[in-house]
Amino acid sequence: MAAAVTLEGVSKRFILHHHKTRSFQEALVNLVHRRNGSREEFWALRNVSLAVPQGKTLAIVGENGSGKSTILKLITRILEPTSGRVHANGKVSALIELGAGFHPDLTGRENIYLNGSILGLSRKEMSRKFDEIVAFSEMERFIDTPVKHFSSGMYARLGFSVAISVDPDILIIDEVLAVGDEAFQRKCLGRIKALQSRGRTVILVSHNLEMLRSLCDQAVWLKQGVIAAEGPVDDVVGQYLDAVQR
Amino acid sequence: MGAVAHLNELFAYRELVRNLVARDLKARYRNSVLGFVWCLFNPLLMTVVYTVVFTVLMRSTIPNFPVFILIGILAWNLHATAVMGAIGSIVGNAGLVMKVYFPREVLPVSVVLSNAVNFVLALVALFALLFVYRVNLSASLLLLPVILLTQVIFSLGLALFLSALTVFFRDVEIIMETLMVAWFFLTPIFYRMEDLVPAYARLMYIANPMASIISAYRDVLYLGGMPGFDFLTRTFVTSVLVLVGGYLFFHHLARRFGEEL
Repeated sequence: MAAAVTLEGVSKRFILHHHKTRSFQEALVNLVHRRNGSREEFWALRNVSLAVPQGKTLAIVGENGSGKSTILKLITRILEPTSGRVHANGKVSALIELGAGFHPDLTGRENIYLNGSILGLSRKEMSRKFDEIVAFSEMERFIDTPVKHFSSGMYARLGFSVAISVDPDILIIDEVLAVGDEAFQRKCLGRIKALQSRGRTVILVSHNLEMLRSLCDQAVWLKQGVIAAEGPVDDVVGQYLDAVQR
Repeated sequence: MGAVAHLNELFAYRELVRNLVARDLKARYRNSVLGFVWCLFNPLLMTVVYTVVFTVLMRSTIPNFPVFILIGILAWNLHATAVMGAIGSIVGNAGLVMKVYFPREVLPVSVVLSNAVNFVLALVALFALLFVYRVNLSASLLLLPVILLTQVIFSLGLALFLSALTVFFRDVEIIMETLMVAWFFLTPIFYRMEDLVPAYARLMYIANPMASIISAYRDVLYLGGMPGFDFLTRTFVTSVLVLVGGYLFFHHLARRFGEEL
């Protein structure tokens, strides 16, 4: 089966500026003194190769700082790899931060349209999906209220509802399912399962290993930017748990 | 993705540009009771101030001074607010740029366009003044959109260049605030090109596209004459070159925005 997402020998280096050059003056001083600030390299990913088959759901596990989010940001093109190639075959939508791009002074309705266009939807598509988005978020009563009056839970619900409505070929989820109450979380999971059954590809990052086991087919365990194990989700999560609990 | 292929993608996100422009205009006018009236009030007040200073206190001989100065103020305001607003547009939207992918040009482009819409709205005040002073206009008025397009292209090129540079050097904004004041005085806004020493005037037309643009506006809206065709063409070509340069520069740096913010 064709791969929906492939990473070929991908490495990502970040330059940690301990004293970040932010002005011309510092840049000039550094030039004269022939030093480069006190910079240190940090390799978030080293030579990672990975193929996610179409229609499968992949879990990425690992400790904080192991490179999980970096992989997701490379797939969504927020970051570019230092070396190697990243390829996504189809429309990618990411639930990385819900409601990123909401404007506090605009109403829920206006923000739905704004957020939809940030995610690349046309006006026609948005009009068609609008009612569905509002119904899913259960925010009918507040839809014409400026979102600055929303609680953080309401904010996230609206954000999730817009992002999930994009109907992507590849859905990327970074630890955002902990939003809303029990009932809303169940609804979110239901929506993700519906996408899976329609043959969409999903990539999930979470520390909720139980949820990963129930949702995913395969898993990758990242350790300091290198793949430590990959395979069926139960095997990989098992190995990861063994290592963490030792 | 190549710089040219990327233009296609940018076009696909035109809905986002439209929404950001609408968001900006709504946010600008929603929180004030008088809303839209303020966008007319500020340039008119400045017109009164300049007119008092230059005609009453300094006895300027420029005829229809309020019309003369308002054209300069509106054109300069468009330039200054578009460029200064766009400079911080990437840095100011860091939360968005680091969380969602979209063509980053969208941010400075929408700032420049929303200011252009604002300019068009403020023209109401100018046309009211033209009527009051019975300025005779000719068919050359039809060139107004061409001049505006030239200015928007020029400001956009500069906005792209500076907004990308600001991601790496935050003091660009502070430096530009000062440079814009100098630029204001070096542009014929409250004086005429003819008032200058001829050698300086020539230099200004070559080195300062804003001087040419404001002269063209005045030809059309104040003198009722025709701007020289080759003069207008030269300014247009210069603006397009600035835009192409700004776009390529932006495109080259944009891939590093996600980690530099």
